[in-house]
Amino acid sequence: MKKLLCVALCLGLLGAFGGASAWAADTLRVGIILPITGAKANFGEIEKLSFEMALQEINAAGGINGKKLEFLFEDDTGRPEVARSAAEKLITKDKVLMLGGGYGSSETFAIAGVAQQNRIPFLVNTGSDDKITEQGWEYIFRLNPPVSEYPKALESFLTEVVKPKTAAILYENTNFGTSGSQEFKAICQRLGIQVVVEEGYEHGGVDFKPILVKVKDKNPDLVYMISYVMDASLLMRQAMELRIKPKLFVGGAAGFTLPEFPKNAGKAAEKVFSATLWYQTLKYPGAMDYYNKFVATYKKDTEYHGAEAYAAAYVIADTLKRAKSTSPDDIRKALSETDMMTVFGPVKFISYDKKINQNRLPTYLVQWIDGRLELVWPKELATKPYVYPIDWDAVWK
Amino acid sequence: MAVFIQTVVAGILMGGIYALIGIGMTLIMGVMKIINLAHGQLMMVAMYITYVLYEYVHLDPYAALLITMPCLFILGAVLQRSLLNPLIKVESILPENQVLMTVGIGMVLTELARMIFHSDYKSVRPPYTSMSLYAGSIAFNLPMVIAFGIAVLLTIGLFLFLLKTDVGKSVRATAQNKEAALLLGVNAERITIFTYGLGAALVAAAGTLLLPIYYLFPDLGGAFTLKAFVITILGGLGSTVGAIVGGVVLGVSESLGATYISMALKDAVGMVIFLLVLIFLPGGLKRLTKI
Repeated sequence: MKKLLCVALCLGLLGAFGGASAWAADTLRVGIILPITGAKANFGEIEKLSFEMALQEINAAGGINGKKLEFLFEDDTGRPEVARSAAEKLITKDKVLMLGGGYGSSETFAIAGVAQQNRIPFLVNTGSDDKITEQGWEYIFRLNPPVSEYPKALESFLTEVVKPKTAAILYENTNFGTSGSQEFKAICQRLGIQVVVEEGYEHGGVDFKPILVKVKDKNPDLVYMISYVMDASLLMRQAMELRIKPKLFVGGAAGFTLPEFPKNAGKAAEKVFSATLWYQTLKYPGAMDYYNKFVATYKKDTEYHGAEAYAAAYVIADTLKRAKSTSPDDIRKALSETDMMTVFGPVKFISYDKKINQNRLPTYLVQWIDGRLELVWPKELATKPYVYPIDWDAVWK
Repeated sequence: MAVFIQTVVAGILMGGIYALIGIGMTLIMGVMKIINLAHGQLMMVAMYITYVLYEYVHLDPYAALLITMPCLFILGAVLQRSLLNPLIKVESILPENQVLMTVGIGMVLTELARMIFHSDYKSVRPPYTSMSLYAGSIAFNLPMVIAFGIAVLLTIGLFLFLLKTDVGKSVRATAQNKEAALLLGVNAERITIFTYGLGAALVAAAGTLLLPIYYLFPDLGGAFTLKAFVITILGGLGSTVGAIVGGVVLGVSESLGATYISMALKDAVGMVIFLLVLIFLPGGLKRLTKI
């Protein structure tokens, strides 16, 4: 009886898998790889919901030249080796037309390698390590700016307002963190800021006090951190505990703009600055509508990661509409000719420095003011005036 | 100097929690002669119970200790009785296969947690979590100090229990020599069930104490199983005093390593000590303390 059951189960599974590839005729399938479980699931969730929201709108508006668009989501669990096999599965088994998604830089890099090898176009929407578009991989396109450009807005804020003399850099020792910290160090050198502490750390630590003690000892004017969300919360809480009082704390996007950051860090999140790539009040068509619709549909906040994903979905749709055929090379050609406006800003893939197929966008500076994320720089776009100088004793009371 | 003192303080406080995690594993190791590779996952279960109690019943995490410890005791005892003990009875199955069973238990617990709570990060933040005591420029994080204090109390309680009570003596007897204990009328099977429950309850306490400081997600268990394993080896397999010393040594050396070498190599520091102990002190710190 048990054996029979086993056989029946196996047959059932076979049927399920076999059936999956049969009904592909009138839908256009695109693979999206995101961290849906695991340590980076927060980001993956915001992006997946945004992809789904865009997909519904695209199909409701008639799809791609009469055909329905379909996204096949795969979970990379935040691990490069899983991301790699997810990409291989989507390309060889599901025969997707192109790939999208890519959250963590290490995972994105792994997916990009597979996509290039198989000559399948891949539109990266978040993975921001500079080297992803510096490999000469002509099938890889990136919607968001590379991590080295995240602090562009911060740079002008520092030269015009803060004028710090010393800085500490704390970063997660991954592709994303290391590459971001090197670039920020270069900026510091350019601005004549002395880097007094530069420390990497392993993601998921319980106690960050050892490195924070070093920061406190050097008492820098500026503390710049590149972290995912839970590390960001713990770093700020423990910095508050140790009473580290630089002129300002700045996060390098990622964890510092998520709604989970103030939820977990509490008052330690208050008045912290962060670089960001997008804010809902920016004058891009549909930006505010996207924000409102997301909040109304899912009853939670969204931020730049969601906007990236939403915009990426529209870029994918636009590309498939313009592509002469569904062959990877025609899609690649259409993607490279993209020139459109999205909620995330204008999208056009260009080559500069060592990068190819890279979209170029300005970045912004936000600050947590009274529990809300406010755009504070550049000044002419600000939703609230920045709070500086900051009296930490009053903020942390 | 302040840097050094703050580093050591942070290390010792963390070491207290590490010790509590390690003791449970070491007890199980002593009696059953197996490494319980579901240890961190049991801790994760206790943390989810604490989280649910805080979120829906608004029960303070420290009060939740009174619930999580008995719950995990029962869970541990049931696991031992219905999953681990039956393996001993089948002759063709090597006793080592109990270890594999614990790996399986760990995986199932993780995936169950993911099914119920998803992968989101959860945290428990009563108002006192960000409070600190200050001695000069040295900060003592309040929940960490409380956790350390409770860990010490629980350890003392455990020692009294092992030294003074009949059941405690039976546990030690079984750990020392199972055959002799059997001959003297100790019900070894019941003792193994009891010990696994006790080990689970101790790690539950560690989890509940850690939650106000840290955060919670289904995959958290693995990292702490590894920590517990290192502590158990450091301390000398099966030695409770060794586990306490091992926990504090690990906490302080991680902390010092992070300050003076690099935080990115924090886990490597723990592993290097682990290797050094294996090479130069194969019996673990037990060899030094003789207990």
